[in-house]
Amino acid sequence: MSAKLQEVVNKQKDQKNDTGNDENQVLQLVGFVVGEEEFAIPILTIQEIIKPIEHTRVPRTPSHVLGVFNLRGSVIPLIDLRMKFGVPAIKTDDMRYIVLRDGEEIAGFVIDRLNQAIRIDRNKIDPAPEATTQEKSLIEGVGKQDDKIITILRVSKLLERDF
Amino acid sequence: MDEFQEILQDFLVEAFELIEQLDQDLVELENNPDDLDLLNRIFRVAHTIKGSSSFLNFDILTELTHHMEDVLNKARKEELKVTPEVMDVVLPSIDMMKALLQLIRDTGTDKGDIVIEQIVKELDVISKGDAEPTPSEKAETPVEKSAGSEKNSNDAEKQGDYKDPLADEPELDYASMSDDEVEAEINRLIMKKQTVINTKKKEEKTKESTENEDSDHIEINMSATEEVSKEEKKTPAPVAKKASDNKKAPAVKSPPPVEQTIRVDVKRLDHLMNLIGELVLGKNRLMKINDDVEERYEGEEFLEELNQVVAMVSLVTTDLQIAVMKTRMLPIGKVFQKFPRMIRDLTRELSKKIDLQIEGEETELDKSIVEVIGDPLVHIIRNSCDHGIEMPADRTAKGKPEMGTINLKAYNEGNHIVVQITDDGKGLDPAGLKAHSIKKGILSEQEANSMSDKEAFALIFKPGFSTAAQVTNVSGRGVGMDVVKTNLEKLNGIIDIESDLGQFTTIKLKIPLTLAIIQALLIGVQEEYYAIPLASVLETVRITSDEIYTVENRQVLRLRDEVLSLVHIADIFDVERVFENHDHTYVVVLGLAEAKIGVIVDSLVGQEEIVIKNLGEYLKGMDGIAGATIRGDGGVTLIVDVAAVMHMAKDIKSQAVAIETVSSKPKNGPEDYTIMVVDDSKTDRKIMKSALKPLGVSIVEASDGVDALTKLKSGEYDIDGMMVDIEMPRMDGYQLATEIRKYNKYKGLPLMAVTSRNSKSDRMRGVEAGMSEYVTKPYSADYIGNVVRRNLGLE
Repeated sequence: MSAKLQEVVNKQKDQKNDTGNDENQVLQLVGFVVGEEEFAIPILTIQEIIKPIEHTRVPRTPSHVLGVFNLRGSVIPLIDLRMKFGVPAIKTDDMRYIVLRDGEEIAGFVIDRLNQAIRIDRNKIDPAPEATTQEKSLIEGVGKQDDKIITILRVSKLLERDF
Repeated sequence: MDEFQEILQDFLVEAFELIEQLDQDLVELENNPDDLDLLNRIFRVAHTIKGSSSFLNFDILTELTHHMEDVLNKARKEELKVTPEVMDVVLPSIDMMKALLQLIRDTGTDKGDIVIEQIVKELDVISKGDAEPTPSEKAETPVEKSAGSEKNSNDAEKQGDYKDPLADEPELDYASMSDDEVEAEINRLIMKKQTVINTKKKEEKTKESTENEDSDHIEINMSATEEVSKEEKKTPAPVAKKASDNKKAPAVKSPPPVEQTIRVDVKRLDHLMNLIGELVLGKNRLMKINDDVEERYEGEEFLEELNQVVAMVSLVTTDLQIAVMKTRMLPIGKVFQKFPRMIRDLTRELSKKIDLQIEGEETELDKSIVEVIGDPLVHIIRNSCDHGIEMPADRTAKGKPEMGTINLKAYNEGNHIVVQITDDGKGLDPAGLKAHSIKKGILSEQEANSMSDKEAFALIFKPGFSTAAQVTNVSGRGVGMDVVKTNLEKLNGIIDIESDLGQFTTIKLKIPLTLAIIQALLIGVQEEYYAIPLASVLETVRITSDEIYTVENRQVLRLRDEVLSLVHIADIFDVERVFENHDHTYVVVLGLAEAKIGVIVDSLVGQEEIVIKNLGEYLKGMDGIAGATIRGDGGVTLIVDVAAVMHMAKDIKSQAVAIETVSSKPKNGPEDYTIMVVDDSKTDRKIMKSALKPLGVSIVEASDGVDALTKLKSGEYDIDGMMVDIEMPRMDGYQLATEIRKYNKYKGLPLMAVTSRNSKSDRMRGVEAGMSEYVTKPYSADYIGNVVRRNLGLE
């Protein structure tokens, strides 16, 4: 019996590896727009995307930290990506909060609108261009897709306290 | 391997529990060296640990406990008298045993830096060399001994009951027996004792009951020492005490019923508490919705049903919360336990005589608080021993009893528990404390002058403050009391000191009962709301804006007999002031540790039960914010960190409540302002004039109060502010200010007192008279310029 079991387990492992390999080649992203530019974030780091809800200001924080909001009983920081990227904030109906999680760290980010889900081959992603700005590390890579270029953001850096 | 780990875990849990009781027993033993029962108990602990450790191959621990056992065995068989000298060896060996156990817990082995040879040698000297000291002691103290046995009539009884049946036992060499044999031997002796006892009647019955109680108490202790404390449970310490009391008087009480206990991992309790927290939030929300629904569907039938359900849910939630809170409660006696031993060591080290009295050890506190309260108490008690209680000779010289007393007391007071430490030592000297602080650079002379006695007492909590002439082992490094303050702030506690020089010092620590779910006062400022932990709120007062005075750049409020510094919450949290408030405002008086402050708020919303949630990694440790809570309407409200706010308030310059003087002419620049300088000394007026010159304001002079008042009332000059000297002929500064303030027209006129009188009472008189600012001579031109500019709104 144990031999048989082992066999099944092995088989499953193989299968997993197969699909794993496949998945490893393709990265799933969610694309969104902030200001004029399009950005993307790996889909696995997104906990959820919600419509804007009321938030509470937290004193003595930089202007891009809007405050905190209540997500089903948890208090979560809210960061305005438009302010962070220096784009004027306009209120639209398409505005969303993207809640990102990296381990224990979690925060909501205000974006102008969602774009699309993107599947992109890993080898089509280039490392971030050697920019001199401090934003350098905020960009994980640049994906080339058909005719356009998508900036992939580094979630761990987004969730890092920057003040 | 896993099995071994499991056994090891069990061993460690058991050992630590045994040791906790041991310290107390040993100290008691020293006072009561003939208590065979105690000795047996102690012997059993050493023996149990020895047995288990040899089984688990902890050779060093086995070796140590083996020698301890030898000594204790001798003492048990009365071959050795327990003297303080013996205890001086036994106690450190227990400490070493603890250290070894800790080492095992942390590293899994007892092979570390701990060297036991020395202590083993000392133990050996006692156990082997007892032949020498015993006769000499006997020769020395025959009287004492007989007196001792007379005194301890209960001992006689005990000897009758306990010793006799065992006296005919051959003296066995326990050390050479295997553990099982010793265990069997002990069991046999106990059995024998029991049978002898059982043959007797009445007396023995009571005896047995105490015996039962004894074993019960250990049992209870074991369950109580773990993290769970049971509701309704008799706390171990009092039981222990009662048990020993009962031994002295013939026991009347029947043995307490056996209580069922269960060990629970603290994590599970924490989780339960979190869930309850969510439930409380849900309840708050439900009640809010119920209110809304009630408003909308007034008179509908289903409302009553809804009301009932909501009321029921709310009631059950509250009960549930209390029940879970109680499971997390531990008697504070758990913390107090270590103090008798500490005092004993300190008295020997400092050669003082100190008696520690403990009261209210059954008072219960949340586990998380019990863990934090230990350190502050250690520091306070050490301080009392070292600085408070005088040397025996000094005490007799002062006509006090030679033996100093430290009283440690815990009791409930509303939603708080109060721990009070009183020593009848030399007390605190306010003047001395001030002088010392000035010397250390913690305090300026000016500050010292305006300080009350209570404020001076609080100086002992300043970091770097130590009055001990030299650093001793015990205290004097100037960090201890700072620890007290920090820990109390963490708990939202309040410290209160009372002292009478030469008589006593009392330090009161007031601590909220729990931390996770708290009562909070909700306040509003502009359109924002904040929650202030109710534990830190002393009172709220409604005032009008002209009750606020400015003294040296700070807004203050005179509240009964004290002056309270004020800070506007909008200034702390950078709230934009869109609309100004009406003529009245609210002040929330906050007290934390030893400090007090008034916070001005726009409105008081009410009291609510809140659950503290943290702001997450990203916003962790924001100044002034302790966390957040979710309100009934689903919104997030921030919780004020009272300690931080008090700290922040110091850096906030008061924006003097802008009260415009009624003025017809538009003021375009400093040249449109007129200042009246009132001083009887021409020289002083001249100095003031030159100081004000750079400002460019026009100046009018007056030579005394009467002159100034006439000039002001004549309307000849449009006065925008006055610099007022205090000491003047005919009418002094205070009178002048009082006269001026009688006129509605001049209610808002800035009156700046300029004087060399700088004591607190002078300032107070100034505030009372209606001075808006108090400047002390000598002043710099820059300073006076700033004061005038600010008061005229020229900034």
